[in-house]
Amino acid sequence: MRDFQYVRPKNLDEALEQGQGARRRFVAGGTLLVDLLRLDVERPESLVDLNGVLSSDITWDAHGLTIGAGARNTELAYHDKVMAEMPVLSEALLSGASPQLRNMASVGGNLLQRTRCSYFRDVGVDACNKRKPGSGCAAREGYSRMHAVLGVSEHCIAAHPSDMCVALLALDAVVRTRHRSGARELALGDLHILPGDHPELETQLKPGEIVTEVFVPSSERARRSAYVKSRDRASYAFALASAAVALELEGPQIKSARIALGGVGTKPWRALEAEAALQGKPATRESFEAAARLTMNGARATSHNAFKLELAPRVVVAALTAAGSKS
Amino acid sequence: MLDAGLDRMGQHFQLLARSAGQPLVLVFARNWGEPSPATLEAIRAELRGLGAALLVLGLHSLFCFRPDDELEEVEPTAVLEAGVGKLFEQYEVDPGALAAGQLTLCVLDATGRLRFRRTADAADGIPEALLRALQIAGKTAISGPADARDWLIKRREVVVLSLLGALALVLADGCKREVPNAPAPTPAPPKAREFPVTLRVNGQQHELMVEPRVSLLDALRERLGLTGSKKGCDHGQCGACTVLVDGRRVNACLTLAIMVGDKPVTTIEGMAEGERLHPLQAAFITEDALQCGYCTPGQIMSAAGLLKENRAHTDDEVREHLSGNICRCGAYANIVRAVQSARAARPT
Repeated sequence: MRDFQYVRPKNLDEALEQGQGARRRFVAGGTLLVDLLRLDVERPESLVDLNGVLSSDITWDAHGLTIGAGARNTELAYHDKVMAEMPVLSEALLSGASPQLRNMASVGGNLLQRTRCSYFRDVGVDACNKRKPGSGCAAREGYSRMHAVLGVSEHCIAAHPSDMCVALLALDAVVRTRHRSGARELALGDLHILPGDHPELETQLKPGEIVTEVFVPSSERARRSAYVKSRDRASYAFALASAAVALELEGPQIKSARIALGGVGTKPWRALEAEAALQGKPATRESFEAAARLTMNGARATSHNAFKLELAPRVVVAALTAAGSKS
Repeated sequence: MLDAGLDRMGQHFQLLARSAGQPLVLVFARNWGEPSPATLEAIRAELRGLGAALLVLGLHSLFCFRPDDELEEVEPTAVLEAGVGKLFEQYEVDPGALAAGQLTLCVLDATGRLRFRRTADAADGIPEALLRALQIAGKTAISGPADARDWLIKRREVVVLSLLGALALVLADGCKREVPNAPAPTPAPPKAREFPVTLRVNGQQHELMVEPRVSLLDALRERLGLTGSKKGCDHGQCGACTVLVDGRRVNACLTLAIMVGDKPVTTIEGMAEGERLHPLQAAFITEDALQCGYCTPGQIMSAAGLLKENRAHTDDEVREHLSGNICRCGAYANIVRAVQSARAARPT
């Protein structure tokens, strides 16, 4: 691992100052960054430690849940209110990584998780537009079983790996940030950006901007929510396809729905067409299946990951069924 | 250089010992002899196990040996010879006995304190005798009962001898830098990028200087000699490095030592109470929950976290909550049994 400097700011303002500069990286849990440092994918000149700066509080009030960006995944996953009021979030978190990693990983870091594309992670491979803009994409002609089918571009097909983000997307979460130039709020759906011509750009965040909090509104829908994840082994694996869904029912009818997909998109993927198709329909398997088929509209698969076109809708149906059966 | 070193020793012993940060094996012998390649490799392996460098103080020569470097003979200079003489004197090593084929081996820990001392007959060759003494030192460090591990030497001696450790460290330092006829080097300032870190491991406090890139796992294994925590993948994918930090299980390979702060760390070495194994250790043996054993320390530490969290009760839940620990031998069935029987054995 290359050497780097390390600073431990005493407060957020100091962190915002110290985070200025293209080769500075913020660190909280370190589960992603230390891995990428060791792979030589990240080569920062210095790390700015946000532990002791970020809040790790998780608070519940009449409006919903406020999560300090420093909160660890474990604490969020087992929080009473999260389990009761927004089960999809708890289920998504517990389907990701291992207990050890969840003990370490912060919520802020999880939002900014980088792809597991094997070509991105291997500096021995020259062609990776995300790691080395303009160098090409080895995955398009390579082994792409784990890669995305939605939101891909000719320059990048890397899948977004987070489970938590998918659940937060289905819960209409809002991300709060601080920058030297001020504070702002972003809908979670606006945080991540499509690879397009610039796969190296992954989020709307400006250099030196810090995620401080995530807010998740409480709702009827959030209570009737579920996460289903399909993967290569029973536990401790990234998603081949996953779905976070939330249903608001009125009698037997669906008043509103949220459907977000993981493992298939270049960013956490909101299935707006499918959501609209469920509105006003009875909460039955037929409705779920019809809506699920729409989630793959616009998908572009490779020969290795075409199975996801079939798998993902099935996962969506399973998640809708699970959510629908919750009271 | 020696005077400067002695001066530093007096005034900045703490700093010096901390920056040295590595155990040191001191060997008093007639000479280094001519080790066979096999013996040299075995010596290397023992030094790696101890995480130590070797300094051979001969009657007329001085050798420095770090496990991953080539053997280095140090040009004797007046100052070095004076320093060596001083060590002979202070450690009460009789040059006559060395000439007659004896060897004295001392292991100093990272803070320069004497941890092990042994005088042996080297009739069949100095390298061989050195290797045997090293092996005994290694075994003592790893498997000796806590108090013997702590002190094979009486406490009173320790206090007297600990300062001498600093002198030895100064000499080892000199080995690295001494260039014949070169002007005496000024004491190297601590590296700009090293930070003082206090690690509290298994109830013991350790002062280290580390670069920010040093993982907790490497600090434990390479600096503190606690090689129970294993390096499997070094990427948070296998769990072999699992330790408890502040009572929570984490991957030590993805944890930077500098970020641990004063949070207590528990490794597999801190699980037993003296000779009495932790219920999980005992259960892993009883249930035959391992084949090669490489993942076992991580499995046990992870299981310790699991039992403490108290969220996994059924076999399926245990499997899910231990999924961060991979076992290539596939001892999973017995691992689950061991965890369940340790839970039952544990007073709740």
